Amino acid sequence: MYSRGVPRSSAFSSPAPHRSPTPKLFLGLIITLAAVVVYSGYITRQLSGLRELQNNLVDRNRKDSLQLLRIQNDLNSLALAMRDMLDNDEPYPLTAWSAQFQRVRTDLDDALRREQQVAPVNRTPEQERYLETSVGQFWDAADRTFVLAQGAKQAEARIQIQISLRARQEALSTAVSRLLVQNNESEEQAALRIGQIYDRVQRQVYLFLTATLIAILFTSLYLIRSNRRLFAQLAALSAQRSELAQKLIATQESTLRHISRELHDEFGQILTAVGMMLTRAGNQAPEKSELRAEVREVCEITQSALDKVRSLSQALHPVMLEETGLESTLDWYLPVVERQAGIHVSYEKSGESFPVDGNAAIHVYRVVQEALNNLTRHSGAKEAWVRLRFMPRALEVEVEDHGRGFDAPAAKQGIGLVAMRERAELMGGTVDFVRPAPGEGGKGTLVRLTVPREKLESHGG
Amino acid sequence: MAGLASTSGLLSDAFATTPAPSADSRRSNPGFRLVDVTVPSGIHFRHNSGAYGGKLLPETLGAGCAFFDYDGDGWQDILLVNGVDWPGHKRDHRPEPSTLKLYRNNRNGTFSDVTRGAGLDLEMYGMGVAVGDYDNDGWADILITCVGQNRLFRNTGKGTFVDVTKSSGLSGRQAMSTSALWFDFDRDGLLDLFVCNYVKWSPEHDVFCSLDGKHKSYCTPEAYRGETCWLFRNRGNGTFEDVTATSGIFDSSSKSLGVAMLDYDHDGWPDLLVTNDTQPNKLYRNQRNGAFKDVAVEAGIAFSAEGRARAGMGVDVADFDNSGNPGIAITNFDNEMTGLYRLSDGGNYVDVAMPSGVGLASKDKLGFGCVFLDADLDGALDLAVVNGHIDDTVRNVSGVGYAQPPQLFLNSGNGTFVDVAAEIGGGFSQPKVGRGIAYGDFDRDGDLDLLITSNNGPAYLYRNDQTAGNRSIRIRLVGTKSNRDAIGAAVKIYSAGSSQSRLVKGGSSYLSQSELPVTFGLGKRDKVDRLVVVWPSGRTEEYKNLAGGRAYECVEGKGITAQAGF
Repeated sequence: MYSRGVPRSSAFSSPAPHRSPTPKLFLGLIITLAAVVVYSGYITRQLSGLRELQNNLVDRNRKDSLQLLRIQNDLNSLALAMRDMLDNDEPYPLTAWSAQFQRVRTDLDDALRREQQVAPVNRTPEQERYLETSVGQFWDAADRTFVLAQGAKQAEARIQIQISLRARQEALSTAVSRLLVQNNESEEQAALRIGQIYDRVQRQVYLFLTATLIAILFTSLYLIRSNRRLFAQLAALSAQRSELAQKLIATQESTLRHISRELHDEFGQILTAVGMMLTRAGNQAPEKSELRAEVREVCEITQSALDKVRSLSQALHPVMLEETGLESTLDWYLPVVERQAGIHVSYEKSGESFPVDGNAAIHVYRVVQEALNNLTRHSGAKEAWVRLRFMPRALEVEVEDHGRGFDAPAAKQGIGLVAMRERAELMGGTVDFVRPAPGEGGKGTLVRLTVPREKLESHGG
Repeated sequence: MAGLASTSGLLSDAFATTPAPSADSRRSNPGFRLVDVTVPSGIHFRHNSGAYGGKLLPETLGAGCAFFDYDGDGWQDILLVNGVDWPGHKRDHRPEPSTLKLYRNNRNGTFSDVTRGAGLDLEMYGMGVAVGDYDNDGWADILITCVGQNRLFRNTGKGTFVDVTKSSGLSGRQAMSTSALWFDFDRDGLLDLFVCNYVKWSPEHDVFCSLDGKHKSYCTPEAYRGETCWLFRNRGNGTFEDVTATSGIFDSSSKSLGVAMLDYDHDGWPDLLVTNDTQPNKLYRNQRNGAFKDVAVEAGIAFSAEGRARAGMGVDVADFDNSGNPGIAITNFDNEMTGLYRLSDGGNYVDVAMPSGVGLASKDKLGFGCVFLDADLDGALDLAVVNGHIDDTVRNVSGVGYAQPPQLFLNSGNGTFVDVAAEIGGGFSQPKVGRGIAYGDFDRDGDLDLLITSNNGPAYLYRNDQTAGNRSIRIRLVGTKSNRDAIGAAVKIYSAGSSQSRLVKGGSSYLSQSELPVTFGLGKRDKVDRLVVVWPSGRTEEYKNLAGGRAYECVEGKGITAQAGF
């Protein structure tokens, strides 16, 4: 009865009021979702920052550096061309280089235009202007040089190249080199910042994962605790219900026993005394007198009332159970049922019988009684089989009919069925309601009560 | 990938309508075989680079060759350019002086060495050759580019040549000249001369370069200053005017090795494509006023697709996809791949080397001479390339071979090429330190034979024997108002719904020149529906229903004459 590990005291004390875990779990879910949203927002912000750094700084810097390298290459080509012009080892006038200069100029102009488009954001207007004006001045000087060359002033043109063009080209080259260095430094700084962002994000990821794990841990612990409480409550309620059922059944049995005894002892004695007195009174009346006949008639009625009282007493609580045991009671009871209900009952006993405690016997008896009551009331069967099996470790009682049977769902079970279950549980046994074996037509009902032997022998209920 | 796919699609659309054979079937049955006839034909030539161990730059670059008809008998003769021992480093193992070699075609598959008789048994550090009838006398003249002074030889028409370098005004110019070509840039009917120069080099200023850090090796051109190409205008009186500076050709940064003529913008005025080593290639667009403008960058030919100047070596230009537009092949250094360019609808060049299969196949090759020719006469131009590294110690450093196999990329007709060099026999694919390559039908059987030179090694003559029974038609043009060689004439044939075009041109390849007659492969077809010739003078002539399997001579303004056979 108390083998589920629930303390007996708890069965009597009402369970502690406990709030549902749902609000807390809901709160936890909201907090978790909020944390995920906040974290996603954080990561998105970091990523957009990273992208911005990549696009606006690193990529832009690289594109700009490529254009600066192109400009530097053009400036170097100009430097080489000027060196060739000054070397004077070609048989051509200086104007021969004008096409070469023009090619470089076209490429340089394009490179400068593209460079301005991708110039880093930290480029100062002064730097922009310097580059633009310096290139402009260089080409002005170059144009003047070629004008001089065209005018057959080769020597003057060479001097121009030497003192003006070369200096401007070198200054430009230096400026471009500075910009390249600046780009490299910016790129290094950006790489550093990118590294920091990665570190920060990595830390946050670890933090978030740790927090998530902790949240999962606490939620799990909380759920486990709540489940334990729920199960404890359920166990307590179940124990209470069983206790209540046991008490109800015990009270019922006690009441029935009391009424049965009262009927048997008090009314039985009274009716017996009345019968004896009436018999004596009848004997005193003259034979064949009308009084004697009437007294005899009253005496017979009294005897009939006495029989009915005894029968009712036996039905309410068969005293035989306590006096002669379960087997004898069933031996007595089944013919009574046959007689009262008008059905044929085949009774089988098997196995080596063992004593059944009186408290258990009343439960077994009541189960058989209820099963036969149901049978006679609902099955429409005219024949029943009762089997009492003494097995080495258990007692099994079967009541079978081949009537209509029943498929009532558990929720609609009558009080009789519930009582059968309760009684079975009180004995630590089980009661099953099944269909008979197919060989028996598959129709009807088989009620099988199985009770462990040790419970029957020492039932304390 | 989508871009590549669409490019292939365009190519396939432009190609012949017959289904393209698979690569495997092309390999198993190329449709022709090459036979090495060098020795049996009487070509006994060995190039002398002068290499004595000093690893002087020019040693590794020469030399070229030419197919041309010097005696006007209609049979292609051969000229091979030679170097010499360096002063102070004469090697005495040679049985005879290393001179130019002129081989006359004996019309029976053999050649005779007529160098001495022709007056060409001259020692010079020769590099390349350009053949053209610059004086319009009907006899092919020769320019030999040299390390030092280039030499111009006028053909007397009597089997001899006269050195007219000085009288022509070409003397007094010392440089390291490479490829050259004759073309009529001002369309005055006189062939002008374009000469490529490599770098400013002299033995005294040779730079020490090393691949392994210990031993001297041949330098790449970064070690030297560039040198402008030259353009000489033919005055028509046997002399030339240097118009390098006034024509806009002058560029002291150029390090030029190859030159090809083309009409890139279809305006009838010859343009020039110059390949530069480690410098941007130049596409000189003819401005029609005696000047040129470099449009290589805009045209997409200056740099590789990655925007890098490659080591441009040899070059050839031809309508290899039968689109009517000049396609371009440029050989480059190993790991740079050969560039194969196709003119896009947008008017600029797109490198289709990778999708065509030429790119990957040439990745580990250092290419020099290259020519488009219809080797199998199927109507689609194929590409022959000779390869060879510049330094014989390269294998110790990079694992790339010094001698490398030549390649013959058969045009599949669907935008792809398959290298069948190993399948066509004749030992063609045997590794060589290849430099020059030229084609010409020396045996007049209607297909194109190949002449190859190797650096400091032998020359090779490969006879082409058709095995698939494809036919051809050959056209020899003679200009009257135009220059007599008709260089610059555009020839287009229409046959059975497809068309092919050729440009009569000198130059191309590397240091070499192929024959001037044009050859069209007809496949199994036996006639040409229409032949259209646009002469350099601007005159257009059209001829119909020409039978295949023979050669024709077309004289400007005088009609066309069928020859008996080729």
